[in-house]
Amino acid sequence: MSDDDTMAARGRGRRGFLKSGLLGGAALAAGSLTARAEGDPAITEIKDWNRYPGEGVDARPYGTPSQFESEVVRRNVPWLTAESISSVNFTPLHELDGIITPNGLCFERHHAGIAEIDPAEHRLMINGMVDTPLVFTMADLMRFPRENRVYFLECAANSGMEWRGAQLNGCQFTHGMVHCVMYTGVPLKYLLEEAGIKSGAAWLLPEGADASAMTRSVPLDKGLEDCLVAFKMNGEALRPEQGYPLRLVVPGWEGNMWVKWLRRIEVGDKPWAQREETSKYTDLLKGGKTRMHTWEMEVKSVITSPSPQKPIVHGRGRTVIAGLAWSGLGAIDRVDVTIDGGMNWHTARLDGPSFPKALHRFYYEFDWDGSDLLLQSRAIDDQGYVQPTKQELRAARGPNSIYHNNGIQSWHVNAEGAVENVEVS
Amino acid sequence: MWKFPEGKAAVLAAAIVLSSGTAASAQDDAGDAAAGEAVFRACAACHAVGEGATNRVGPQLNALFGRTAGGADDYAYSDALVEAGEGGMVWNHETLSTYIADPRGTVPGTKMAFGGIKDDQDMADLLAYLAGFSEGDAAPDDAEASADDEPESGDAAAEAAPAVETESNAAVPVDQRPGPGDHGNFGIGRPASEEEIAAWDIDVRPDGKGLPVGSGTVLDGEQVYFDQCATCHGDFGEGLGRWPVLAGGMGTLEDDRPEKTVGSFWPHVSTVYDYVRRTMPFGNARSLSDDEVYAVTAYVLYLNDIVRDEEFELSNENLADIELPNAGNFIADDRFEEDHYAEKDPCMSDCLDAPAEITMRAQVLDVTPDSGDEGSGGGAID
Ligand code: HEC
Ligand code: HEC
Repeated sequence: MSDDDTMAARGRGRRGFLKSGLLGGAALAAGSLTARAEGDPAITEIKDWNRYPGEGVDARPYGTPSQFESEVVRRNVPWLTAESISSVNFTPLHELDGIITPNGLCFERHHAGIAEIDPAEHRLMINGMVDTPLVFTMADLMRFPRENRVYFLECAANSGMEWRGAQLNGCQFTHGMVHCVMYTGVPLKYLLEEAGIKSGAAWLLPEGADASAMTRSVPLDKGLEDCLVAFKMNGEALRPEQGYPLRLVVPGWEGNMWVKWLRRIEVGDKPWAQREETSKYTDLLKGGKTRMHTWEMEVKSVITSPSPQKPIVHGRGRTVIAGLAWSGLGAIDRVDVTIDGGMNWHTARLDGPSFPKALHRFYYEFDWDGSDLLLQSRAIDDQGYVQPTKQELRAARGPNSIYHNNGIQSWHVNAEGAVENVEVS
Repeated sequence: MWKFPEGKAAVLAAAIVLSSGTAASAQDDAGDAAAGEAVFRACAACHAVGEGATNRVGPQLNALFGRTAGGADDYAYSDALVEAGEGGMVWNHETLSTYIADPRGTVPGTKMAFGGIKDDQDMADLLAYLAGFSEGDAAPDDAEASADDEPESGDAAAEAAPAVETESNAAVPVDQRPGPGDHGNFGIGRPASEEEIAAWDIDVRPDGKGLPVGSGTVLDGEQVYFDQCATCHGDFGEGLGRWPVLAGGMGTLEDDRPEKTVGSFWPHVSTVYDYVRRTMPFGNARSLSDDEVYAVTAYVLYLNDIVRDEEFELSNENLADIELPNAGNFIADDRFEEDHYAEKDPCMSDCLDAPAEITMRAQVLDVTPDSGDEGSGGGAID
């Protein structure tokens, strides 16, 4: 290690020390008055990291989070599915901030496990109602003009377990089938035009290369409007579990359509009625009718902190409510927050970039007096849609719709700061 | 990653020590454990192996070599496999290769519903892979000689197969590379051949477009179903454990707990054919012939009382004509016409008649992971 490195390490160690001292102090605040009188040991004791140099630059060629963040992981709800190959895990929304989801924390939903594809052996085929059916290699795709876009991806079944009532204690589980990253990819339009779309064409069938060979019918208009064939997320290659080396991006529409491990797009004149648009991803209504082709994700929001996995630990006083809002129809115009179960609402502060069909971050800061709270958030998008209550949704659709539950979420905070998932009158 | 020589040693050692009189043949099979890991994916839907492996649809496969057939703890085997074990059947290179190649032919009545691994190299690789989790049972002595025979056959194979590179033009001299194609705006990509399109384009539409020529009867389908589907979906399509239900549930769509099956819910028969052909049996996709898919589709219709004649033959000629009972109940998306989306100015103050009360709590159910003694909740993710 050179002198410069050592200096840098020390400098960083010192700042890290101060920072962790602050956190430690906060955690201790309720407990130890004596420690405070004698001086906080986080300050008065010389820490190992303040004395000894740490690992060098070769130790972590692909950086990983601090060991103290080991709880920040995707989690599964084992009873939901027969086994973990065709299953889902959830983004730890309660631990994150801003609008971008780190790649390793984006929730996963597979129908036949993670396909591990060698990009040299991956092909994208365009066939069906086109002038020239084409095959592209990954190298070919890199020669088309690229675009960078930030979009949320939400599974249509996000919050699906909550249709009948409050069930899971944690916004990771109630709302964690959503993530938001910046994609780099080729507009699908260019690829379709390269093959030449025949007249009469109206539908697309993207298909995955995994063992579920996932397929969905997508209207051609959507494909020409804003779909991307993406190979990067947040600047690096797609993660295997997110479809490496290629996935379809279908902005604002349900996650199942964003076919991973994309290997083929067929052009046709009618939809194909695939399993994932008939047996699944259709919304059974009271009365026995079933909506199909329910593609858009409606306006939605949730308070991520405090939430059941993120209680208030600092006691009464200044408190930050943080949350996420999104709409598959556009950008978020406004978010309102209530702390009394909907009697009075306060307009929250939107912060960070506002992109259409992307997550938006909101905050509401207030002085907590230590009494019980009933927290809710209500989002309004730039098309004028207002997030409905769960009662309104159930009244309109019944309890067996499974998909597209965008109802207002309620958290109860008790005097200790513990938080529970509840429903309110 | 996997260390090659040990795995191979384990295979050979296990074969020599444990199989009676058939050890010699094992020596010819050079298995590559790394390649075997990929072959094992066909098994992973039902079996776990490695640290922490537990019984799933099938028993866990740790310490398999030297284990008596039907010998994993706490697993409910078929009587057939238990009897085979009691009769002296012990898992070794020989017994495993016969059983895995043809489970039902080897042990009639076994409940392992699996088509079988037919390729000799795949089998050798697979066994080398599994042997790696049986280390303790293998005698280490024979390791060296055999490991030297074919040094790093895995790597050699990898080097011999750079064929995929050619696709990126790297091996073609610059002046012989194809220029831009005369299609499209950029001339990027090359035309797909008919053979290539046929290999991937197997989708079928409700009007029958895309169906391959072929047929299969309910009776043929019964055989396929019992061999390849019943371990998960149940003898009557009732779904074992939490595996999907395929039959029944007629008239339940308005019930409190509707049961959505091919018969009670699905709108089109074409979807059954298309889906089974592209992805079932789970763990061994695209292993059925087109005729077998017709047959097993016919059988699923039979389980649902859509067809009632065992002699019924489903084919590309009649599939699109069969109507499913719920077909007329699918409607277009009209979510945005729901009352709560009508234009409104949301209320900001004094919005409720009485202070909000809690009407339901998640803790009552306590089904959240890591919350202690959680049970199973209701609802599904589908
Ligand atoms: C569809 C599910 C399924 C698949 C796929 C499957 N198995 Fe099995 N396997 C089973 C079941 C169930 C049993 C128990 C058989 C019995 O009790 O008759 C079993 C039993 C076995 C046994 C006997 C174990 C013992 O303890 O006696 C072996 C060995 C085995 N399987 C290997 C494999 C291998 C290797 C593969 C992949 C090539 C594979 N299986 C694929 C379901 C499956
Ligand atoms: C190893 C267990 C297993 C075996 C064996 C199996 N399946 Fe499946 N099957 C599944 C799973 C898991 C799913 C759901 C996959 C998903 O989530 O995408 C499924 C889904 C299905 C569905 C769709 C169900 C629905 O309601 O959407 C059909 C139809 C089906 N299987 C038919 C078959 C047939 C026919 C066979 C035999 C050729 C078969 N399966 C063998 C596990 C299995």
